[in-house]
Amino acid sequence: MHKIMLVEDDLQILEMMEILLQKIGYEPVLVPNVLDALDLVRTNPPDLVLLDIMMTPINGWEFLEKVREEYRIHNLPILLFTASPDVAEKAAMLRDPHLGILQKPVSLPELKAGLERFLK
Amino acid sequence: MGERVFPFGGHSFSETDLVRGFVIFSLTICCILISALAFSRQIPYINYQLFFIPIVYAAYFYPKRGIYVAAISGVVYQGIGYFYSYPNPAAMLGVTAEALLFVITAIIIAYFIERIRSGEARYRTVFEHSQLGIILFNREGFAIRQTNEKFAAMLNYSTQEILASTFLDLFFIEREKERFLERIDKNRETADFETRFASAGGAACWVNLSWCMIDEHTVSCTAVNINARKLAEKLNNDNMMKYRQLTENSPTSILIVQNGIILYANPTFAEFSGYPPAEVIGRELVRFLDPRDLHVFSEFVQQWTIKKPLAAHAEFRFVNKDEGIRVAVLFTNPIVHANKPATMINLMDISEKLRLEEKIHQDNERRRGIIITVAHELRTPLQPILGYLNLLISDPEGFGIVDETKKILERCLLSVDRERQIINQMLELSVLESGKLHLSLSEFPLEALVQTVLDTSGYHSKAEVSVTMPEGIVIMADRDRLYNVVDSLLSNAINYSKPPRKIEISYRMDTDDGFHHIAFSDNGIGIPPESIGTIFEPFQLADAAKLSRKYDRIGLSLSIARKVVQMHGGDITVRSVVNTGSTFTIHLPKEVTVDA
Repeated sequence: MHKIMLVEDDLQILEMMEILLQKIGYEPVLVPNVLDALDLVRTNPPDLVLLDIMMTPINGWEFLEKVREEYRIHNLPILLFTASPDVAEKAAMLRDPHLGILQKPVSLPELKAGLERFLK
Repeated sequence: MGERVFPFGGHSFSETDLVRGFVIFSLTICCILISALAFSRQIPYINYQLFFIPIVYAAYFYPKRGIYVAAISGVVYQGIGYFYSYPNPAAMLGVTAEALLFVITAIIIAYFIERIRSGEARYRTVFEHSQLGIILFNREGFAIRQTNEKFAAMLNYSTQEILASTFLDLFFIEREKERFLERIDKNRETADFETRFASAGGAACWVNLSWCMIDEHTVSCTAVNINARKLAEKLNNDNMMKYRQLTENSPTSILIVQNGIILYANPTFAEFSGYPPAEVIGRELVRFLDPRDLHVFSEFVQQWTIKKPLAAHAEFRFVNKDEGIRVAVLFTNPIVHANKPATMINLMDISEKLRLEEKIHQDNERRRGIIITVAHELRTPLQPILGYLNLLISDPEGFGIVDETKKILERCLLSVDRERQIINQMLELSVLESGKLHLSLSEFPLEALVQTVLDTSGYHSKAEVSVTMPEGIVIMADRDRLYNVVDSLLSNAINYSKPPRKIEISYRMDTDDGFHHIAFSDNGIGIPPESIGTIFEPFQLADAAKLSRKYDRIGLSLSIARKVVQMHGGDITVRSVVNTGSTFTIHLPKEVTVDA
């Protein structure tokens, strides 16, 4: 069972996603605090990270940079899970093969397909 | 003048002629009688000399007739002389000689008189027929002694009227008269003195006067009418005034530049630069330029210094007196200034325009930012709704959901999906309008694209679709975006028609204007003419209120479709008949070039 870490400060979404991920056969790890997530990603690495972007005190992009540049975790698939519309271009510029986008709101089939693509 | 004339034997005689004729005739008769008396009484010395009186008199006034008078007198005198001195041969010879002397004298007088007369006549002819106005007047008192027709005609007077006045009366205004008096006191001879005379109608007549003193008391003066020239000059002056007003009041700055030096600058330029005109004229134009633009400017100047300068224009930054930067567009035109090539520069201040453009740009950016934020805020709460609905529908038994509830949940899901779509379209349009989007062009067969759209969205099941398209049409476009355009048009055709739906997709072959024309025709409700113009505007629907309720659609897809085709350098047009159907046509350029 793949472990999916969801970094998201919206509790409503967090609760919903927990059920949804369980339903489609994943093990969700819910992290409402992005700084906790930074620790967890090293101490207890997941198989994939679903990453919200608009968060405090650091946003998703900063999280991504720390993971990739500082912690040198390059192969961990990270899906940007965001409602911001201007993510695609910025993400494309990073040329990261293990980086994807899931545009909020995501439907169940889309979520399934997105996760499967990065988990093979 | 005004003398009575009596015609006689092919000649006409004036009263003076008759009087003179009578005097000559009487004198001759007297002479004949006296000489006859002198001969008969043998009185010497007085017989023939008397004859010279009528002969000289006649020859002086009438040279030819004087000779006749002399001949007649000679013959008569000779007759009388022969009669009394016969048969004295010496005396008879003397008489003959005296008679001959009459004729010779008359001939000599007549000859000189004739010469004088013809010279006079020539002079008179010249005087009277001269194309110049000629006038003789007294130096003292300025009484006019003589004038010719030309001069009188020039001022619309008769010669008598001119002769009745003095030269000073002719001047149009007092000041001109004084100027003339000053001049004539100074110079005996003057040429090209331009002044105005008063003509008979009271109007001024411009004349060019040249005069000289022909003796101590008389001045001969010629006058040429220069009214036409003066009129032309005045017209010219008026034009100059007009041009001056135009340049002085022009809202754009106008400069005349020669060899880089400003020779003329209008007040608008002074205002633009902040320097008074005196500080502008004579200075180099480049001194007003922003140093950063100097390099480009020197290239620009090259364009107007080549042999045949073309009208060129470009944008430059200027530094005004307060060190502020102002931007202007320069339009240049080659002109001739003081017989040397120069450049006229029209300088249009666009600082304000640029400021507004910048503001509009900022506003657009801000609006885009707002749209993006709003989209984010609208999408986030949808996530739990969508997720839970998906969850419930995916396992109805597990959640204990009956069929009826499932149907309701499915309808909820549909609405959520629609809202998601609307937000996505809003965002897409905002990105398209920002111009920040780049097309990824590729070449692909058109028919395959259309078929894919038809198959993927299942249009064949919704309408009777016919595709008429020549084989092997390959187009160049952003495939994904064009896919959406075709999908939008087809979905639009389905949404605005009732069964039995008919959709025709055709490729127009009749024109070769460098465009692909792909038409989508439906048998739908059509678009009323008053709405055709706004159908592509965002959030516009034909008969908006009614239709939005009936079809529950928001009109962003057409706006997006058109924007996409326009980004390719093409357009989408529409023709429609209400209750018959509409035809949307994609005009896509065969060669797409998009700025990188």
